[in-house]
Amino acid sequence: MSLVQMSVAVEEVPAEQKRPRSALARYARPALGIVLPLTLALGWELAVRAGISNGRLVPPPSRIYEEFAELARTGELTRHVVATLLRVAVGFGVGTVIGTVLGAIAGYSTLVRRLVDPSLQGLRAVPSIAWIPLFILWLGIFETSKVALIAVGVFFPIYLGVMGAVMSVDRKIVEVGRAFRLSGPQMVRRILLPAVLPAYVIALRSGLGLGWMFVIAAEFMGASEGLGYLLIDGQQLGKPAEIVAAILAFAVIGKATDWLIVGVAAPFLRWEDRFARGTEA
Amino acid sequence: MLNVEHIGKTYPNGVRALEGISFSVEPGEIVAVVGGSGCGKSTLLRAISGLDQPSQGRVLLDGEPIISPHEKIGIVFQEPRLLPWLTVADNVAFGLTDRPASRRQHRAAAALFRVGLNEKARMWPRELSGGQAQRVAIARALVPQPEVLLLDEPFSALDAFTRIDLQDHLLDLWNDRRPMMVLVTHDVDEAIVLADRIMVMRSHPGRIFEEIPADLQRPRDRHSAAFDHVKARVLMALDRSLAGERVPEQLEHPGTGSAMWW
Repeated sequence: MSLVQMSVAVEEVPAEQKRPRSALARYARPALGIVLPLTLALGWELAVRAGISNGRLVPPPSRIYEEFAELARTGELTRHVVATLLRVAVGFGVGTVIGTVLGAIAGYSTLVRRLVDPSLQGLRAVPSIAWIPLFILWLGIFETSKVALIAVGVFFPIYLGVMGAVMSVDRKIVEVGRAFRLSGPQMVRRILLPAVLPAYVIALRSGLGLGWMFVIAAEFMGASEGLGYLLIDGQQLGKPAEIVAAILAFAVIGKATDWLIVGVAAPFLRWEDRFARGTEA
Repeated sequence: MLNVEHIGKTYPNGVRALEGISFSVEPGEIVAVVGGSGCGKSTLLRAISGLDQPSQGRVLLDGEPIISPHEKIGIVFQEPRLLPWLTVADNVAFGLTDRPASRRQHRAAAALFRVGLNEKARMWPRELSGGQAQRVAIARALVPQPEVLLLDEPFSALDAFTRIDLQDHLLDLWNDRRPMMVLVTHDVDEAIVLADRIMVMRSHPGRIFEEIPADLQRPRDRHSAAFDHVKARVLMALDRSLAGERVPEQLEHPGTGSAMWW
């Protein structure tokens, strides 16, 4: 090694070390994202207070908060949130189970894939909202048709994700399992499942995202409770604060359930060599 | 004793990758297989390992035919092929079936210590350098104490310094229990440093072209006259093994350099 190389190597060492981040830098960066919505909200609040706008169609934050508080006080909020959560939970569960099983089989077996995949891809091309009339005819106007619609929405991303993940498991890694004489079930448990897990978590998250989308569609088609009902109710009674409150509730719960998946999966995915590793503990 | 008897491999598309390969490996012996790329070296090794089936012939380990991966045969691939979701220690323990788990962990820890990576036990494979990862792969293959260790160009992806380091390290590990080793490589120096016998292959179809003994004293000096003598023999054999293919190749481009076709 020449002297030049050595001096370069010495200089590189400090750069390799982790930069100690100050408390300010650690909290200031995420806080930056809140600045814009906060400014807008505050600006609008002031505008309404100052009488520049009456705020009837676009309620100021304080009125939305009052609406929230009122809904929470009367127990309405809990009732609607629980109804919506329940539908998403059941629909997501059903869609996940079917999507996972079918995706795994189609990914594993070329024969099944050739048999089943074209039909499913064809069905996937149908906008899922288009199923609503049929589901209502078949399953009635109540819970079953709603849950079925959500399950359909959740099914496709999970089916696709699992199939793609199983198909793309590294043949070389599978061969390691063969070299150590793993049985079929051992191969699934020790090689295939862990190999598929990162893609599976992504599939679950996009499935859940669609689940939340479809629960609104389902609740629009006639419901007596749920956040989607609250939206329609707010529209029909001319209560924009109620609509915005329901939208906010959707945002919070949707994000929270997404975090739940990420949080539950995180301990199993610490091995991943990710490009973005922002919030490493 | 490992016996390879008249192994041939014909792919479904009719390409003959191997033909009539026979040799045997004595207990404690290291055999290197060298040859140009595409001569079927790796195909041969995969047939011996039981990962692939030969089309003709058979492989016998102590008289027992090998038709699928065998517990007495360990294999190290060109890439480390560590399981990224297991820690380094768990990767080493992957092939162990001992119970309870504490016994497995103990054996893996001992093997990891033996390859000098005990401090990396709790790390993920992605945190290792290429040489370290390959050492873990060797430890993983050796910890079940196989009678045969197969190595498929194990160091070809590493830089020259690491490669020499690992060659010496491999010999050191081999010395513990002296398993039979079959090493596939395209590095002539590597073959001579490690092996007792060097088999030069030629291609289309893959056959053993010449067998050259390398009965030098261990540890081997890479710069001795005896080393160079064996090296010259292997290189000459390689040259002759390629001769039949090189001539038409030269004829294909008669005036290379004088005028380009475009």
